[in-house]
Amino acid sequence: MMSGRSLKTYIRAAIQRESRKRSRIFGVILPVLLFLSCAVAAFAADGSDPDPQAAPPAGALKSYALTLPGSVVKINMVAIPSGTVTVGGKPIPIKPFWIADTETAWEAFDEFLKSGDPSPAYDQTKYKPDAIARPSKSYILPDLGWGHHGFPAINISILNATMFCRWLSSKTGQKYRLPTEAEWEYACRAGSKNDPTNEEVKKEAWYADTRTHPVGKKQPNAWKLYDMLGNTGEWAIDPAGNPVLCGPTFKDPLDKVKPSTHAYQVPAWQATDPQLPKSRWWLSDGNFCGFRIVREP
Amino acid sequence: MTEQSVNDNTAPAATRRDFIKATAATGAAALLVSGNYAFSQGSDQIRIGLIGCGGRGTGAAMQALNADPGVVLTAMGDVFAEQIDSHQSALKGEPSVAARVLVPAEHKFVGLDAYRRVLDTNVDVVLLTTPPGFRPLHIKAAVDAGKHIFAEKPMGTDAAGVRMALEAVRLAKAKKLNFANGFCFRKNLSHREFYQKIHDGAIGQVRNVHATYLTGPVKSMPPASSRPAGMSDVEWQIKNWYNFVWSCGDGLIEQACHSIDKILWAYNDVPPVKCVATGGRVLPNNEGNIYDHIDVFYEWADGSRGTMAQRQIPCQANDNADYIMGSKGYASIEHGWQPAIHTDPPWKYSGRQRDMYQVEHDELFACIRKGTPMNDGEQMARSTLAGLMGRMAAYTGEEITWEMMQKSQENIFPPHLHWDGNLTIAPMAIPGKYQFA
Repeated sequence: MMSGRSLKTYIRAAIQRESRKRSRIFGVILPVLLFLSCAVAAFAADGSDPDPQAAPPAGALKSYALTLPGSVVKINMVAIPSGTVTVGGKPIPIKPFWIADTETAWEAFDEFLKSGDPSPAYDQTKYKPDAIARPSKSYILPDLGWGHHGFPAINISILNATMFCRWLSSKTGQKYRLPTEAEWEYACRAGSKNDPTNEEVKKEAWYADTRTHPVGKKQPNAWKLYDMLGNTGEWAIDPAGNPVLCGPTFKDPLDKVKPSTHAYQVPAWQATDPQLPKSRWWLSDGNFCGFRIVREP
Repeated sequence: MTEQSVNDNTAPAATRRDFIKATAATGAAALLVSGNYAFSQGSDQIRIGLIGCGGRGTGAAMQALNADPGVVLTAMGDVFAEQIDSHQSALKGEPSVAARVLVPAEHKFVGLDAYRRVLDTNVDVVLLTTPPGFRPLHIKAAVDAGKHIFAEKPMGTDAAGVRMALEAVRLAKAKKLNFANGFCFRKNLSHREFYQKIHDGAIGQVRNVHATYLTGPVKSMPPASSRPAGMSDVEWQIKNWYNFVWSCGDGLIEQACHSIDKILWAYNDVPPVKCVATGGRVLPNNEGNIYDHIDVFYEWADGSRGTMAQRQIPCQANDNADYIMGSKGYASIEHGWQPAIHTDPPWKYSGRQRDMYQVEHDELFACIRKGTPMNDGEQMARSTLAGLMGRMAAYTGEEITWEMMQKSQENIFPPHLHWDGNLTIAPMAIPGKYQFA
């Protein structure tokens, strides 16, 4: 049994030990942790890491989480710095912009769908540049039963993706749109001039597969963008102003998983739509067609 | 459009039975004068008429035109003139078929009797793609007129209509007329191989099929306040046909009938002996009277089961699949209609992929060319009646047997449909109160 004096001595010694420990935590460990977390936060929030390969400066832009109006659905918008990317052998300057860290998931797209009446069936409307319309009802089950919450929106036409951006812009007062092909490839490369190695592809991409997967489950690229190299292809606008599906998809074999992979829509993407006119909003055979949004400063 | 080509829309359309009487006597004569056999006598042309010019119908016309270079579209009928004009333009905009869209103004017919006017032209084949409530009447009329037929699914929206259509397709067989139904999965090459393997015993004896058609609303009913002043009940209901049982049949019949057809396919087209069901409506439907979900539980004579889960409500968890349990294994069609047999070793379809909507027309027109008539009308009737059996079980809350459905007198098609007429909307069925008929 411990005596009364020895108990006091033990307690005093214990307090001194704890005090020294706290002193170490607050004096040495915490500052180190604080420095590291600030550095991480600065990279995540400002893209101001001095290493151009890992996180080049994004100027005054700060990354942020966008909450879709009237909902709890969030899209993380990552600030991307200015720079230059070579597309088709031509260097193209890029101004700073924000890009979503994932492909647009169904829960975000659903907010757009339920924001207004659907377009009429067999819609052939000629929309003005500032028009906002919702898609017509899909002839097929749009998500194909592959999964909804957390899964990327698929079978999406360029018109559908464009209208999502217009709707979002009108709701937020900010300018959201589809990326240019150059912006997309710039963001995909994330500062690297080389194509990703096979090892990097395996860590970052869903490829050579039979279906899509939930967004954001593989490792991100160096700029914290997920699924740039696989899962769905992503609608963008090429230098001539034409829609182009950027990036490889879950269907592509390993050797096609490159930032420069892209495709233009062909009739096969709607081959089994049994209607005429075929839908302008949904691609019956485009289960690899999705999109991610960008925002202009 | 010329004056004589436009139905004044004021003449009452005949009832089903009036029409049957009126056309029975002229059927044989129509066969002789309709030009059915012109192509077999040296002409390369097969003339088609489109009855129901919506997007799916026009798509079917496109597929028919693509099926054979000798096919020409020469007549179109619908209740809405703008449907005809806009979809004729859509066909004209397709380079592969534009030159074979040869519909003069006098062959564009508008009105409830447009089908009869199309049949009165010299078309060889008709595509019946109106809302399904009209299908029995149109099938009967087309057979009586001696036309080859493509008829979209389902075959009707009540037992009386299906029986009427069934009699017609049997008559078509006797007349050596081709009849192709629109249960398109039967024309899907991967599905054909899949079900053949099931029938050959790949998973043993089929003991249970669970089919899903869990999706969103198809054509939601607008509020009554949006009805234009002066629009008649009949026009309003046909404009919003998906929301009325007499015209649509309910989502279980109009859409999930594909899945019910596949349940029967798995059971080698042996119909269930009985079923119970549950269903109802969660979302407001304004004036409409269809349910937005029905689950049917079918049973076969040996105790095997089939469940049909149908829903048209915007939800996160969607599914359109078929899960088949056998005594020795499991098979499924899921992930966007990909059939697979989950045995050791597993089987997946590796053959040729073709658009099933195109195949159904390719096969129909090949049979017409060869003079070897096809007729899958009985399968269409059986699958539609199995769907109606499920709907009846859901609406009444009773156990419904196949035998009961054979004798069902349910006849919900409006008896005197007139474009400007009044048409009372039947109240939505309440299980326990709705009576079997």
